[in-house]
Amino acid sequence: MARRPAPPLPSALKAPPPRPGEGNGPLSPVEQAKEAGITVVDWVDERTSLSGAARWLMFRKVPKGTNWYYTLGSATLFAFLSQAVTGVFLAMFYRPDAAGGAYESIRHITDDVFLGQFVRGMHLWGASVMVVLVFLHMGRTFLFGAYKYPRELNWVIGVVLLILTMVMALTGYLLPFDQRAYWATIVANNITATGPLVGPYLGDFLRSGPEFTATTLSRFYAIHMLLVPGAIAALIGAHLYLVTKLGTTAPPWSKVDRRPELSETEV
Amino acid sequence: MANKRAKQKSKYTLDRGIPGAFEGETVTRRRFMTGAAHSAGAVAAAAFTLPALGFAVGPIFKQERHSWEDIGPLEAFSENNYIPVVVTINPGVGEVGKTTAYVRKRNPAIDTDRYDSTTPYIAISTRCAHVGCPVRWIDAAERFVCPCHGGVYDLLGRRVSGPPVRPLDRFPTRVRAGRVQLYTGRFSVNSELRRFSPRDPGEPLDGIGQYLYPSRPSARIP
Amino acid sequence: MNRVEKEQYLRDYSVLKAQGKPFFPYAVAKDGAMACVVLAVIITLSLVLGAGQGPKANPTTTSYVPRPDWYFFFLFELLRVVKPSSLTQLATIGVPTIGMILLFLLPFYDRGPERRPERRPIAMLTFVVVVAAMALLTYKGAHAGDPTTIGMATPPRIVRTGGATLAEYEAGKAVVAQSGCLACHKIGENGNDGPGPNLTHVAARLPVLAVARTLVNPTAPMPSFKNLPPNKFKAAVAFLSQLK
Repeated sequence: MARRPAPPLPSALKAPPPRPGEGNGPLSPVEQAKEAGITVVDWVDERTSLSGAARWLMFRKVPKGTNWYYTLGSATLFAFLSQAVTGVFLAMFYRPDAAGGAYESIRHITDDVFLGQFVRGMHLWGASVMVVLVFLHMGRTFLFGAYKYPRELNWVIGVVLLILTMVMALTGYLLPFDQRAYWATIVANNITATGPLVGPYLGDFLRSGPEFTATTLSRFYAIHMLLVPGAIAALIGAHLYLVTKLGTTAPPWSKVDRRPELSETEV
Repeated sequence: MANKRAKQKSKYTLDRGIPGAFEGETVTRRRFMTGAAHSAGAVAAAAFTLPALGFAVGPIFKQERHSWEDIGPLEAFSENNYIPVVVTINPGVGEVGKTTAYVRKRNPAIDTDRYDSTTPYIAISTRCAHVGCPVRWIDAAERFVCPCHGGVYDLLGRRVSGPPVRPLDRFPTRVRAGRVQLYTGRFSVNSELRRFSPRDPGEPLDGIGQYLYPSRPSARIP
Repeated sequence: MNRVEKEQYLRDYSVLKAQGKPFFPYAVAKDGAMACVVLAVIITLSLVLGAGQGPKANPTTTSYVPRPDWYFFFLFELLRVVKPSSLTQLATIGVPTIGMILLFLLPFYDRGPERRPERRPIAMLTFVVVVAAMALLTYKGAHAGDPTTIGMATPPRIVRTGGATLAEYEAGKAVVAQSGCLACHKIGENGNDGPGPNLTHVAARLPVLAVARTLVNPTAPMPSFKNLPPNKFKAAVAFLSQLK
């Protein structure tokens, strides 16, 4: 913008020239907001040194050739987050009461609560989507040989996450307490009990007694919404840490350019 | 060499070059503090883990209470056909505590087994002995049929085909004042109809089975 | 992988990584786009299919046919296909446990340095076999029928004839389904394949009279159906003798 000439005002009315160190006059509100933001971030960073970690996480390089197949892991993570959030809201309405309260509360969520069926549908179908994604992610890892050195431990963590996802899917469908839920739980519990020697006791432990009791549903509820999600969240943390530390794999077909000037390592 | 040995023998960590050594710390002191750190941690962890675990595991050792329940007059049951009756095996949870048993009068011609001789009525549990689906009695074929994985049982509840590992479980019965009563604690039988304390479905009782799948403190033979 | 191969891999990887792009924003943009697709799929499924609720849990039922959710169909079908009762534990606990252990230990027994799929024939063959087996089990699990209904379509020649023949065929189908024949025989897609023979084309093997005679006077362990009411018996014979 072209600068217009200053109006011919008496010197007393003229704005004083900026003092050294004051910059170019008062900041505009936008710039002030920016400054405030920077100050806050600086304040936090001075006390936590998180910026280094953020740089390490976000500005690491991903190898040449990284393609859409590499989004399956983060897509699974995203499905898990969606499950966590919708699950928290469903828990606000759900009652783990085998004597009729559980079925009734699910009916209430589905029929009466505003957006209830939508949120329950998201949780229900989110489970299927997460199962599909977790298997696709594992398939990708297998096909690309990404479980090999040095990422063996991350594969093991991934298998634990796969099993925990299936445990979530199973314990989740007891909670609506309809016929399918009830019989699936009975069958799953009895399958656990067919393990030799320890099976019978394990079955009793899961069921909290020799038959389905009032506590069985609460147990599965606690497993579904506290125990396993906690374990999944912790293991996802470990999984991501290792991914960041070791780097994502390059597609197995990548041609390595072995010119010496390229082989110096960068962070 | 002699100097090095002297270094090894000194009781001060600084002399021995132990990592994290500081002025005036002795090895005995460090050893004591290491032990204290480990045991304090173990005690603190056990203090919340053990009670919680005991609390969760407790029900395994608690024996279920059962009772005799009236299921109808003597004439209600015939010798050749099963009548379904609904009994409450687990009071206090409403509908979920109930189950269905198929009951018929003992027929000396077919129930020849000596273990059956004390039972005036044969009451068969509807829990499939494979993994616990609800079996149904089909009169025309004289078979119990499981809708899940293809288990089929005969009139006595013995396996005819499919994956079930033992016959269907049974309930004890008795006659009191002209009425049939059923005891709500079931028992399991092996392929010779010998009685065992109740097992979960899928646990065979023939041969080594009864040892591989031991009886549980929570469910004893009635 | 021996030490040389490990070092070679790390060197090659560091070159590829150095030539790559920063995670933010290049990979994150793709991840974000994928996340939007995932959420769109979840929302669409929720809006289109909703969230149903079946009948209330009822342990006293003798008519409900329990089925798991689709992602457990392969385990469900595994329990169905393993028929001998001596192998039941193998199906319930054995195969899943062995599968999990093999999955856990994969990086420890597959230690070759090769990562290209086309140069790992054993791994790829295993992959194809496992995926095909799971897909097949899932498909069969999804189509597992109820033991007291017959899903077979009425053949067009009977529909064309109509009248009493059609009525008797339909009545017979219901009688056969309700009489527990499917416990031991397979008819079309329904029923257990064994111990009895497959009845889908029984009329091609047996004439009408033989069918009736077998129903009255069968070989053990098949029970006799002579106690069926005469009209039901007649309908059942009529239905079975149409299974060509």
